[in-house]
Amino acid sequence: MSNIDRRILVKGSLAAMMAGTAFSRAALAQSAEPILLGVSGPLTGPNAQYGAQWKQGFDLALDEIHAAGGINGRKLAYQFEDSQSDPRQSVAIAQKFVSDPRIVMELGDFSSPASMAASPIYQRGGLVQFGFTNSHPDFTKGGDFMWSTSVSQADEQPLLASYAVRRLGLKKLAVLHLNTDWGRTSRDHFVKAAKEYGAEVAVTEGYIAEERDFRSTLVRVRDASPDGLILISYYSDGALIARQARQVGLKQTICAASSVYSPKFLELGGEAVEDVHLGTRYFPQDPRPEVRKFIEGFKAKYNGQEPDAFNAYSYDAMNMAAAVVKIGGTDRRAIRDAFAKVKDVSSVIFGKATFDVESRRVKGAMNAEIVVRKGQFTLWDGKPT
Amino acid sequence: MSSWLDHTINGLIVGNVYALVAVGLALIFGVSRLINFAQGSIYLVGAYIGWIAVVQLHTPLPLTIIVVAVAAAIVGLIIERFGLRPLQNSVRIAPLLATIGISFVLDQLVMLIFSPNPRALPSQLPDVRFQVGGGTIGPLDLLIAGVGLTSALLLFVFLRYTKLGWAVRATAQDRDAAMQMGVDVNRVNQAVFGIAAALGGVSGMLVGMYYNQIDTAMSLQATLKGVVAEVVGGAGNVPGAVIGSLLLGLVESYGVAVLGTSYRNLFAFLLLVVVLVLRPNGLFVSARQAPPEPLTGTFIAPSRPVNIPRWALLAAVAGFAILPLFPVSFYVLQTLINAWLLGMLALSLTLVAGTMGQVSLGHAALLAIGAYTSALLSLTLAVPAGLAVIGGGLMSAALGTLLISPSFRLRGHYVSIATLAIGEIVALVILNWESVTRGPIGISGIPPLALFGYDLISPTSVYWFSLAVMVVLALLQGRLLTSHLGRSFRAIRDDDIAARAYGLSLNRYKSLAFIFGGFAAGVSGGIAAHLYSYINHETFNTQQSILALTVVILGGLGNVVGAIVGSVALVGLPEVFRIAAEYRILIYGIVLLLLVRFRPQGLLGTV
Repeated sequence: MSNIDRRILVKGSLAAMMAGTAFSRAALAQSAEPILLGVSGPLTGPNAQYGAQWKQGFDLALDEIHAAGGINGRKLAYQFEDSQSDPRQSVAIAQKFVSDPRIVMELGDFSSPASMAASPIYQRGGLVQFGFTNSHPDFTKGGDFMWSTSVSQADEQPLLASYAVRRLGLKKLAVLHLNTDWGRTSRDHFVKAAKEYGAEVAVTEGYIAEERDFRSTLVRVRDASPDGLILISYYSDGALIARQARQVGLKQTICAASSVYSPKFLELGGEAVEDVHLGTRYFPQDPRPEVRKFIEGFKAKYNGQEPDAFNAYSYDAMNMAAAVVKIGGTDRRAIRDAFAKVKDVSSVIFGKATFDVESRRVKGAMNAEIVVRKGQFTLWDGKPT
Repeated sequence: MSSWLDHTINGLIVGNVYALVAVGLALIFGVSRLINFAQGSIYLVGAYIGWIAVVQLHTPLPLTIIVVAVAAAIVGLIIERFGLRPLQNSVRIAPLLATIGISFVLDQLVMLIFSPNPRALPSQLPDVRFQVGGGTIGPLDLLIAGVGLTSALLLFVFLRYTKLGWAVRATAQDRDAAMQMGVDVNRVNQAVFGIAAALGGVSGMLVGMYYNQIDTAMSLQATLKGVVAEVVGGAGNVPGAVIGSLLLGLVESYGVAVLGTSYRNLFAFLLLVVVLVLRPNGLFVSARQAPPEPLTGTFIAPSRPVNIPRWALLAAVAGFAILPLFPVSFYVLQTLINAWLLGMLALSLTLVAGTMGQVSLGHAALLAIGAYTSALLSLTLAVPAGLAVIGGGLMSAALGTLLISPSFRLRGHYVSIATLAIGEIVALVILNWESVTRGPIGISGIPPLALFGYDLISPTSVYWFSLAVMVVLALLQGRLLTSHLGRSFRAIRDDDIAARAYGLSLNRYKSLAFIFGGFAAGVSGGIAAHLYSYINHETFNTQQSILALTVVILGGLGNVVGAIVGSVALVGLPEVFRIAAEYRILIYGIVLLLLVRFRPQGLLGTV
């Protein structure tokens, strides 16, 4: 055996070892040759919770895909690499995926800095980077291999503004937003829409993700005497703000972005989130068949746990990936082209998802106006709170 | 006007919360002259033990507090016995690094056991609110204030009137003398760690109840705010820590009142820098007390550096240079590119921290300045990327040195804390100065690296470019160290009074070190910006600063080759452990602890 042969052999067995652990992680070791997707996301570090939620959504979607016969008879699997949502690690992972011929496309990363730092590598390497929670408006401008089902805030925020201003009749708003690229973009779209609908935005306050104490912020809000509070938050900070608002005696209507939609919001917020209004993409009693299937499947798989927004995003993303691979096969370029071809993929968030080829995003997210009543998310009945 | 009353009350309430952590930190610092970075992790552990007690075992509040205090104290004792006591006769920097490693391990363990999802920790007190000014306070506010004040008072009595307390104070004043007088120093340390940990655990639980929320990210924030409060009050001073915390809470609250929420932490860290500059020992340390940091020459391990023959270095550089010609995957190259970028940062830090003795914990700020300068130069002024990177280096050298100059008069730990604060201030300015930095939206579409009109796009070319830049910087630094400048730097590190007596101007040499170091770090940041094509305020964070310090200590302080070896090791290890998925940071923490335990002078020794 020559030297070169031996090296290839060693490499091959190493790759087989790596692949082995990856598959057993995805609990899909049954099939010999599954089609492999790369996932770059946080499993440790400050955003680890979101990576854990992704996995739940992915695994549920994979179960359903395999029960329906897989991808033309082949199984689908994912290799989840922990990036900690750190750009330094996501670029290394990008090179790893690009140079691994078994990977047919990539999903993630979670945050915009980690995703967009890796975009040039995916673009040059000719591997699709499919984002579904990284919301930066410029993400898909990275190149024609960047596709995203992340709900565009230009779509979502006018819906929330319409709920708050037109339906709930709020006229003077205080906006509290997470001071990240997502929060800022959302705030700008929201404020623009709210003004168009005739409301006044009295104060906007940006806070950093680690913030836990909002009392001083709420005094500023109180001094602006708004008749409604708008929370552009995630569920944990949203719950904190709602609690502290009620504790300091602010009784105004609270309206929140869909990202607080999580059973954790109810658990963490307790009584304080009662009567909080939120615009969401689906709700627990939603009669749409794809939502019923998702919620019931999720509860059955995870001991009755209610799914949240991030579970839904990852569930949809895996279904979309399956639909794309069904058309595009395992060739990376064909997969990129398949994104332009998929039509009406069943989706919890969009109902039926079809990409706009120009922006490489999906338009027309579903909208449900819901409210927390008796500690449950329910469809708003039109009664004022 | 009534809002001012409300802001005052809010400030006191928040300060109250900070005080719980700060008191524990102050106690440990008072005795062992150690900033315990693991205190936040004990706080985290306490919160989760509280959760088990309240949600699973349904214990009543007094019992919950006792359970949490005892359990946290046991964790503290274990840390003291197995993490820190073995390092007793080691260099001063070893325990500091050990506490960082311990906090990694504890945080990860909690995350693995309880999952990273936040949990609700319901308060067991009745939900009544008292109207105060325009807001309200609840029984938990009073309980937290009660616990803070009582523990501070009890500690005061303990330290002043009990025998063990005297022993603690004697140990704090002069460890060797205390031992000669028959004080069992180990027992004193144990007592202190037990008490501080119990306090930390209970405070984590109370704060968790206060917000009805606990998650694994609460540890680092608690440590940061606790350290600020403690230093403002005077390191090692327990009543000072309480007052420092209240002051910190007030300053933050008024800051929000004047400028808005996103400026909150800016005020906290500005307060810290101002206090450090005006009263380096903290607000409440009496002038009589001996300066707590006679650190000259003791902070850094005197050791014989490993002598690497010149031909071996040449061979290693040549080997890495021809590596891309072999069939290695781009993944390996990208990992090494990361290592070279971190290597430039480590070169910078090893110069200021190792050679100069100014241990900086805010080095990521230099990266950020370089990255933003380079990105903005190439985007808005269309400067070619190669020149823009150099511009980033120069800006980082100039601005970094200017920003750091107020801390030149500080020593030892205080330098670290001041630089930590300056690093945070830079990050917050980037977040808030939107007209220039585009705030949280960040800068996208940064053009790729280019040299003489050729774009460096392929991993191979970026690899060669970053390797070459790093080698040039390393050679320059090596030359610098053997010149009279290097000798002056080390003289100042080893004994600044003697150095001054010989006519060396401390400020001038410190500036020179930071100018050179700032340039290397700025270049690293600039290259990273062009490599990533997108940066925002989160790209260069505190964790990056801590990683750089770990690299430098691992390689051997002041050791140029060591900094590079350390970078390759610390970029490589987490990648090697990738297969371990969720467990990899835990393994990394344990490896770090073992290294500190068995090779505190670093792999290649200090220079």
